[in-house]
Amino acid sequence: MRGVWQEALRGVAQRRGRTLLTAMGIALAAAMLATAVVVAYSLHTGFDRSATRADLPDVIARFDEQPLSRVEPRIRALPGLAAASFRFEVTNISIAGGGHSSRHASVEVIGPGRRGFAILAGRPLGARNGEVLIEQGLARSWGLHPGSTLHMQALGAVRVVGISESPDNVAFPLAAPRVYVSRRSTEARFGHEADPDVNTAELWVKDPGRLDEVLVQARATSYGIRGLRFVTRAGVKILLDEAAGIVIALLVALSAIALLTASVMLASSARAEVQRRLAGIGLRRALGATRTHVTLAQAVEALIVGVPASAAGVLAGTLLARGPTDRLLEVLNEIPPGSALFWPLAACFALTTAIPLLAAAWPVWRSGSRPPIALMTGLELRARRIKEGRSHRLPRRRGTFGLGSRLVTARRVRLLSTLTVLGTSVAFILLMLALASELGELASNPAALGKRYQLTAALPASSAPSVAALAGVAAAAPRYEVQALDSYSLGETIDVIGYPGDHTVFEAPSLASGRRLHGPHETEVGLGLAEVLGLRVGSTLAAELPSGREARFRVAGIVNSLQHDGRVAYVSAAGLLADEPAAAEQIAIRLRPNADRAAVTAGLQALGATPVKTSAAVGTGQTLIDALTAILRVVAIVNGLVCLYALIQALVLTARERRATIGVLRACGAGAGAVRVLLAGAAATVVLPAALAGVLLERLVLGPALARLAAGYASLPLGAGASEIAIVLAGFAIFAAVAVIWVARLSVAETIVGALRG
Amino acid sequence: MTKSVGTGRAAHRVLAGVDIEVEAGELVAVLGRSGSGKSTLLHLLGALDRPDGGEITVGGERLTGRSERSLARIRLRRIGFVFQSFQLVAECSGEENVLLPTRLPGAPRGGAARARELIVKLGVDPVAERSPHELSGGEQQRFAIARALVNDPVLVLADEPTGNLDTTAAGDVLRLLRDMTERGRAVVMVTHEPEIAAAADRVLEMADCRLG
Repeated sequence: MRGVWQEALRGVAQRRGRTLLTAMGIALAAAMLATAVVVAYSLHTGFDRSATRADLPDVIARFDEQPLSRVEPRIRALPGLAAASFRFEVTNISIAGGGHSSRHASVEVIGPGRRGFAILAGRPLGARNGEVLIEQGLARSWGLHPGSTLHMQALGAVRVVGISESPDNVAFPLAAPRVYVSRRSTEARFGHEADPDVNTAELWVKDPGRLDEVLVQARATSYGIRGLRFVTRAGVKILLDEAAGIVIALLVALSAIALLTASVMLASSARAEVQRRLAGIGLRRALGATRTHVTLAQAVEALIVGVPASAAGVLAGTLLARGPTDRLLEVLNEIPPGSALFWPLAACFALTTAIPLLAAAWPVWRSGSRPPIALMTGLELRARRIKEGRSHRLPRRRGTFGLGSRLVTARRVRLLSTLTVLGTSVAFILLMLALASELGELASNPAALGKRYQLTAALPASSAPSVAALAGVAAAAPRYEVQALDSYSLGETIDVIGYPGDHTVFEAPSLASGRRLHGPHETEVGLGLAEVLGLRVGSTLAAELPSGREARFRVAGIVNSLQHDGRVAYVSAAGLLADEPAAAEQIAIRLRPNADRAAVTAGLQALGATPVKTSAAVGTGQTLIDALTAILRVVAIVNGLVCLYALIQALVLTARERRATIGVLRACGAGAGAVRVLLAGAAATVVLPAALAGVLLERLVLGPALARLAAGYASLPLGAGASEIAIVLAGFAIFAAVAVIWVARLSVAETIVGALRG
Repeated sequence: MTKSVGTGRAAHRVLAGVDIEVEAGELVAVLGRSGSGKSTLLHLLGALDRPDGGEITVGGERLTGRSERSLARIRLRRIGFVFQSFQLVAECSGEENVLLPTRLPGAPRGGAARARELIVKLGVDPVAERSPHELSGGEQQRFAIARALVNDPVLVLADEPTGNLDTTAAGDVLRLLRDMTERGRAVVMVTHEPEIAAAADRVLEMADCRLG
């Protein structure tokens, strides 16, 4: 074994250049895989991890303010209940701290018992008065920490004693800032209450598998409790997890592609190296080395290169992806996986070490079945020459550029593997850019959501004709919107939107199937809702409205909508108001092209309302968009580096194998420029078809496939546009130029005499 | 000229004060045992390598002290090299191998016509479209010679030009080299076979890093 080690170490030392190139390839492949794994694993497991850590209740029941004594006995009597705690949530409270302020804080007054959130820093609320816990999004955004002072409406100055996190909602600033106060604190300020009011109950059941029974029982015993709404832990998970669904699906696909490209790159590199060394291997075997010995030496050499390179790659990929992923998790109120990432990353390390190991050792082992003399006299080379014989019958390309092209096409398997790597990489980079561009569009342009109105005004429905009469207004109509719950699973919230007439004048998300609604008993539902509830055209949507009444609508059509992840239902105003007379109303205003907004605003102000600009998909969710965009950029950068490596690898292998050819050309008078032209021909042969294949793959396969994946949300045109294609092609051309110049420098640095020796 | 190879303790002298002058139209053979330095001498004369000391002039142009770019231009226009193992590019046909130097930037005009003429003259026209591995050793050497001559050099350097050939093919190659001198070119051939060297106008023996 000592001999094997010495031989392997000698091999590494003798082939420093090739070793470095192989190590670079392994490191890049490992980085690419680790990046995808970190993001996908973190997001995929984020909710469960955070819910477990926060001890998130199985059900959160919200209801109109009730005395505790009225609610608690009914809750405690539920079958299979493990624990329950009660809170009083007050919204739209003014808070200030760290130089910031908000008038929309949600303050939760918590009683004794299980709490349903995790403490990330500091300590839980204690016995002292004037103490609060704040959620991590608020702490991060406002720069608060345990010990900071917060000024709260009614409570005055309070001390932050801890930072909390609960995945039952997204974090501030996506949602309102959350502050937790103990009941003892409020009682100290407002006086003791023997029977305090509550409006939220958190329920933990003994057997989550029998949650349905608990919910049925809870609904049955809820008589007299108004405004009762349940949100299950599963429902929260669906809402939050699916927000990152596209990214996870994309990254899982990227992991598979990364593995494939890594395998192809590393295997072709290893195969070329072994092919080059077959004569030496034959000689060693002729001198008495066994097949096992030479295979082991090759395997150990591959390990010496692979282990540190793979470790460095996994580390680099992890470091690159951790920052943006952690930011995204924070926005989703989820905790990073921490040490749980160890095993997935260890698997990445094992895979990216094993692939080059097998790719290096297997051909040597296989060559061992041949007599040593056959290896020494070039048995493999003879096979190659037959292929070369075929190659000259290919269409002739004239000149040095054409010769470079021919040198590359002579190695068809390698050419195919390089084309595969580059083509898929180009396609993925294009996909990332198309997705980022689409995200930006959805974030900033309401029209991308099918919204055709530009302003809303908080005016009664009766004001619509007056608003429509204003100069610059094309149309105005009352818009009603309520949040309902799916009557069956109770986990899905639905935005029910009603217009008195044709809603497509104001909101016209495209129809995915069916037709537009007619009459008060029909609805058009978003694709997201249709997928979650299994709705089809002709099905019935049963929605539990805030009034507690159930409304039923026949699904007339399914629309592509991104609002609320596609969990929307368009109905007629008459149908909605029949069951929910108190539905929130506002006037939706569609402006004429080139309308004077200032004049319209003045007119609305004269009517007593301040107009509000229509927001796009995310409104205040820029943080989420930024985090997603950062992740896409990281993946695209790693992918771009893989492209650069694959190009350099293809050229280096060609230049190494064809040292003698380059030497002959130089001996015939070719200078550095001619060598660059030769390599440019080689690069062009790889780059041009790969770019074309990548563009076609993205436009015809990946883009449409991802758009189908996103169909739960909306119809996204994910085909790369001309500008994205131009950017990628320009980047590709630069990469090719860098690779050509670098490899040409390496080739010219060698003496002609040395090159001629091969 | 002087030339050493290796560094530190491993350094050893290959050429120690070699002087050689070859006239136009002269065929000079450098004879010597393996490792005597005769190939190194040829590489220096062909601007494939640089001497440690001394001066080299080819067709009135000094090679010493020139940039690599300038040397490449001299190799392209003034020097033709015939390699021991032919060094034909496997992906190109015989004819394309001959055409390679004519397609390099800075090559003299009329290369294609000269290539055709040489191929016909050397009698390899019927096999011009074949790949190197489909050619006999003699045919490969003729294409290699045609490639060396295609840019009309003043100096032709041949490294063991008959080393891989049978007696008949070796005789043909010697006749071709002789033919080059008759067209006014200087030819330097290195060989370790005295009977091949005997065909030259002048035989110089390489021993102890010097020309005798």
